[in-house]
Amino acid sequence: MNPRRLYRRFASEVLVLPGRTTVLAVCLVLLILPLFHRHPYTLRVLSLTFIFAIFAASWDLLSGFVGQLSLGHAIFFGVAAYTSALLNLQAGLPPLVTIPAGALVAVLMGLVVGIPCLRLKGQYLSLATMGFPIILTGLVYLFSDLTGGELGVSGLARLGPTRLSEYYIALVLVLGLGLIMWKITDSKVGLVFHAIREDEITARASGINTPLYKLLAFCLSGFFAGISGGLYSHFMRVAGPSTLSVLTSFQPVIWTIFGGVASIYGAIAGTFVLYPLMEFLRVAPELRTLIFAALVVLVLRFMPEGLTPWFIDRVESECPRCKEHNAVTRRTCRVCGAPLGRPSAPGAGPFQPGKGGRVAG
Amino acid sequence: MLTDILITTLINASVYAMLATGFSLIFGVARIINLAHTAFYMLAGYFIFSFTTVLGLGLLPAMLLSIALVVVIAVLSYRILIDPMREHEAAVLIITVALAMVFQELMLVFYGGHFRSVPQLVSGYVTVLGVRVSSQYVVTIGALVAILAAVWLVLMKTRLGLAIRATAQDREIANVMGMDVSLISTVTMAIASAQAAAAGALVAPLFILEPRMWLYPLTIVLAIVVLGGIGSLKGSIIASAIIALSETLVTFLLPSGAFLKGAFSLGVMIVVLLIRPEGLFGVSFEGER
Amino acid sequence: MTRKRWAALILVVTLLLTTFSVTGCGKAAAPKVIKIAVAGPMQFIQGQHHWLGAQMAAEEINKAGGVTVGNKKYNIELVQVDTNELLSVDDAASAVEKAITVNKVNAIIGTIRSEASMAIQEVAMDNKTIMMVCGASLPQMAEKVGKDYNRYKYWFRVTPVNATYLVKASMLLLNHVGGVFRKELGIQKPKVAAIIEKAVAGDPLAAAAAKLIPTFGMEFVGVWRPSPTATDLTAELTAIRKAGAQIIYTYFSATAGVPYAKQWGELQIPAASVGINVEAQAKGFMQATGNKGNYEYTLNTYAPVQITPKTLPFYEEFTKRAGQFPTYNAGTYDAIYIYKEAIERAKSLDPEAVVPELEKTNYLSAAGKIVFNKNHDVTWGPGYVTALGTQWQDGKLVAVWPNGWEGITYPGTVDYKLPPWVVSQWKKK
Repeated sequence: MNPRRLYRRFASEVLVLPGRTTVLAVCLVLLILPLFHRHPYTLRVLSLTFIFAIFAASWDLLSGFVGQLSLGHAIFFGVAAYTSALLNLQAGLPPLVTIPAGALVAVLMGLVVGIPCLRLKGQYLSLATMGFPIILTGLVYLFSDLTGGELGVSGLARLGPTRLSEYYIALVLVLGLGLIMWKITDSKVGLVFHAIREDEITARASGINTPLYKLLAFCLSGFFAGISGGLYSHFMRVAGPSTLSVLTSFQPVIWTIFGGVASIYGAIAGTFVLYPLMEFLRVAPELRTLIFAALVVLVLRFMPEGLTPWFIDRVESECPRCKEHNAVTRRTCRVCGAPLGRPSAPGAGPFQPGKGGRVAG
Repeated sequence: MLTDILITTLINASVYAMLATGFSLIFGVARIINLAHTAFYMLAGYFIFSFTTVLGLGLLPAMLLSIALVVVIAVLSYRILIDPMREHEAAVLIITVALAMVFQELMLVFYGGHFRSVPQLVSGYVTVLGVRVSSQYVVTIGALVAILAAVWLVLMKTRLGLAIRATAQDREIANVMGMDVSLISTVTMAIASAQAAAAGALVAPLFILEPRMWLYPLTIVLAIVVLGGIGSLKGSIIASAIIALSETLVTFLLPSGAFLKGAFSLGVMIVVLLIRPEGLFGVSFEGER
Repeated sequence: MTRKRWAALILVVTLLLTTFSVTGCGKAAAPKVIKIAVAGPMQFIQGQHHWLGAQMAAEEINKAGGVTVGNKKYNIELVQVDTNELLSVDDAASAVEKAITVNKVNAIIGTIRSEASMAIQEVAMDNKTIMMVCGASLPQMAEKVGKDYNRYKYWFRVTPVNATYLVKASMLLLNHVGGVFRKELGIQKPKVAAIIEKAVAGDPLAAAAAKLIPTFGMEFVGVWRPSPTATDLTAELTAIRKAGAQIIYTYFSATAGVPYAKQWGELQIPAASVGINVEAQAKGFMQATGNKGNYEYTLNTYAPVQITPKTLPFYEEFTKRAGQFPTYNAGTYDAIYIYKEAIERAKSLDPEAVVPELEKTNYLSAAGKIVFNKNHDVTWGPGYVTALGTQWQDGKLVAVWPNGWEGITYPGTVDYKLPPWVVSQWKKK
């Protein structure tokens, strides 16, 4: 393909849609940001944002797409953080090895949690998953010789030699893994995931081995959450029981639902907004959490599908004939030429558990 | 030893049952996992504290006033924030967590992170079969029985109770039959939050008052409710006893592992769920869409 | 249509602005000011004591003409850093990094929660910033100085003495109560139950208790390990009473100490309670336990006794300002003075020059004579910081130890009192 055709293709796939253009713009800004501004504190906050965005997206993969609403996602994060930390400290392995190893242990944890949870549905599943990290915390305290008990494991190798390199590692990973997760949900497997969430019985009746796919979702989600847990422990250089806390389990849920569930990019966007916001609120330290919580309540009250569907509803409209998305400024559909009416009432459509869901892409 | 274990179990079970039944009720009727439930319990504790120490009210009026206030707050937050969102289950879940965080932070702003205590109705202890039991516990058990009996009477013997049970069984049909489902859910919310507030009045004096006190009981209450079967009051009461027994056994038989009691109870919950995925007395919602 | 586009644009811009603006503040540093970050959970009592102690020292120093470094005069400016560390570890590390890189502080004092302190230590060492702990007691932080001196040399601990010493000192308190049992009740071999929260600092003690306690001429009946954040210890107390304990050795560094003392007093468990109960150091303890915590005996750092000539003025001034008794977190008061003297001797603010001077510290503080050991940890022992044993007697916190230990009795120390219900239970009839 010659460059001109490549550009045309790019223009017709990305630039025509304001939503995609925004994503592209944010990515570009983040990539070139250190050229203009490389204050270690900004880079730190952004790096942590990226790491947590991977975590949030992994939750979305399991809970948003497959509908297995997990309230104990910290177990994957924490188990990987501890594994990476211990491998680094006890065996002296570099982060390049310990982080994937931590992710693999998180995959195993996905089986440990996933197999019993195959029998559970709905709220039972949510509340049962909440128990796992608490049980693991008990074990962390029980084997405090190894895990350091409440002190955690500290003094780990840095993720990268400089803050700037850490920033780029985290950024590349969030973009890369985000894309991979998005591609997974856009693939045939993703379609099966949707089917299981919408109607598991029908999916099974159609010959889909639903337990296998559910386990696959647990493992995949565990893998990505594990990577973020490993990154976190090497970035903070300490892995402690806070990585398994109830708060750590709730955070990705809050970020994802705030950003827009079942879309991957919603989870990432939610984290990109909320995590820096929390840092920004340091201007009023005593009211920080209060403002944060109140904001979450109000935003969800008025944008129940979250931020990104609300945003997309405002900048894009759906063609009534071919269901392709168009920029809201167009009068006719860019694909089939059908006239576009006024955009449909905002709030109709997207994610409703057990009802309808937006298919990514 | 055996009597010690049994009596300690009974005490803890009654405390847990107090919190779990309210949670279970609102779930059964409104199908809402109200993670702010134990935050209402905390609010009641703080209200009683302020009414008695700051405003100088008597303990009993302070308790009644606090319960009423908590019910008002609960009903308002249900009507304004939760009920309009009920179609979006996930959003409701987050809203209730965030609401609990709002309450926690408000308490932090007003009272700081200091430890306080709610005055007790009665102080001292009584000796039951050679075991010392704080008198407040005896009152709690009595009140629990009374409250549960009252809730049972309302549910079983009144038209309102019939409507609540009908809504719990099938919300849509109840609606078709001309019941004001939304109103019934609100009334249930009032009853459930009153139960949480009563727990705050009776149980909080036994513990300490601090802004994060809602989190630990929340996990235990969730475990109990899941174990007993979501929405089943009978299940919640029996599960309270099971969890309390397992905790007490850990403390007595494995003293150096007393810190494991939370983990152990949750382990019990997961094992039971593996055998009975819908909890002990839960109804399977298989056919429900 | 264009309005909607605008709305979208504004949204994107706000998103980016939020990211950028976090670094926007605090660029212009006023000249001739030494900035010290006071890091702690500011909404909780620990952080408030960090702040109040530091504030007192800074005001006193500035009033007396500030700090002379070389031939320049400086004033001390405190930067309050709310670490939120009790709830979130990454929050704490970010807050401290902000203080160092945005507010450009010269030193950090404070911190309390073990896990967060470790993370903060790494951030401070990365930036070669002096960090003086007034809260976290884990020996592991100091061991790092020994292991990797060049990286960790900027770290010092002012209060409390590290956990190893805390345990040693608290054993002396146990012996003290054992002695009172023998003398007043004629019980030669009192039975001791240990209740040690599940924390790393307590682990070696819990393992050794069965061997250690009999060497004091006492009988050991068992060890209970509740969670540090337990809210109900009735079961443990019932089991301890059942085991026939006459003394309970406690180790509580966190919230569980409050319900413990409350339920211990409520049920009148017939066993004297002694050891470490950090919450019992706070003035609000009586209120928090509904006055049930009377007779609780704990290791402490400050009390209204004359450890050094500085103790009483500090204690009284702090109590007046805060309406609370200073806990070990208020050691920020001494930390600032120690830092001030070191930079004055070094005639420089450069950490490389200040560290050797800090190492030479020999400072008579409100808690005793502070000398740092080779791991930059505060030295414990007779002639140095000894710590105190304080007991709640009739709603008042009084010092009861050291009372003749190694010949030390600080003026103002009173006698230990056994709880009356313990006396009536075990008094030989």
